[in-house]
Amino acid sequence: MPDWTSLKWLGWISLYLVPVVFLPWALSRAWVHQHGSDLQVGPKRLFQRGELGLLGLVLASSVIWNLLQSQFTPHTIALGSVLMALSGIMAASVWVETYCRESGENSWRPARAWRDSRNLALLVFSMAAVMEILLDRFAKVAGQ
Amino acid sequence: MNAPAVARAKTHERIVVVRLADAAEAITVLSLAFGLLLVLFPVSFPKMIVNSWEHGQLMPVMMVLALLLDACLYARIAVMRSAKPGIVAAVCLGSLPLLVVGGLSLLLQGAVSHALSGDMPNLQLRVGEEILAHTYLGLISAVFLPFLVIRLLQQFKATNS
Repeated sequence: MPDWTSLKWLGWISLYLVPVVFLPWALSRAWVHQHGSDLQVGPKRLFQRGELGLLGLVLASSVIWNLLQSQFTPHTIALGSVLMALSGIMAASVWVETYCRESGENSWRPARAWRDSRNLALLVFSMAAVMEILLDRFAKVAGQ
Repeated sequence: MNAPAVARAKTHERIVVVRLADAAEAITVLSLAFGLLLVLFPVSFPKMIVNSWEHGQLMPVMMVLALLLDACLYARIAVMRSAKPGIVAAVCLGSLPLLVVGGLSLLLQGAVSHALSGDMPNLQLRVGEEILAHTYLGLISAVFLPFLVIRLLQQFKATNS
């Protein structure tokens, strides 16, 4: 029988998505409406400098915090933390690379920065989701 | 040789450049599939993993799975970029998944020994959850780390040349 209670992580992760993704998008829409601008604002344009990678790092940090609070063995905590940190850092590095390319003489390709940051942020998101399911399962076992 | 033919020849000679975002797509799907299996089959799926670990089949299966995934992913990137596979990347993809899974297998043995040495309730269930977590992290590491190493090697090569 499916264990739907494990899906409570979805609500927890959405707390990060609302202020980081939806709020800037909604604010920019409101600004366009207020100023009567014909600017086309979508997530792809709004986060074209790889800002989603920063969300990945924030998400990874919070999962590492939860892992450190758990009763898993130090081996599992270390492995999970290192892997989450690596994926979070690589996601954030997209924003750093884009910033350097834009500031320097290197060519800056917004489509590539958007695609890279989106894929890596989704990777961190999916890993965070599974880690939360595993933490939830372990908490139930430890609490019995 | 005319100009288009030269351009085509250059395209064929170019070695595939891997971006981590290409591998991230596949790892996301793998990760979500693992999570979905955990939600849909909360008892039978973990039990299957623990049973296969007890019979010594988990690590070989993970090695084969990681090797296949890495090879397919690299081939897909090569086709997408219309470039030929590089020898360094092939060596990385042939050896790193095995090394990662082998190393993590030792780490799992350490984690299980640590869990068993403690005087805690629900020891059997705790060990099962540890095995489940290591299986997930091992699979992700075996796909993610080789591509991360290839990406960093490419960066290093580009900086030096």
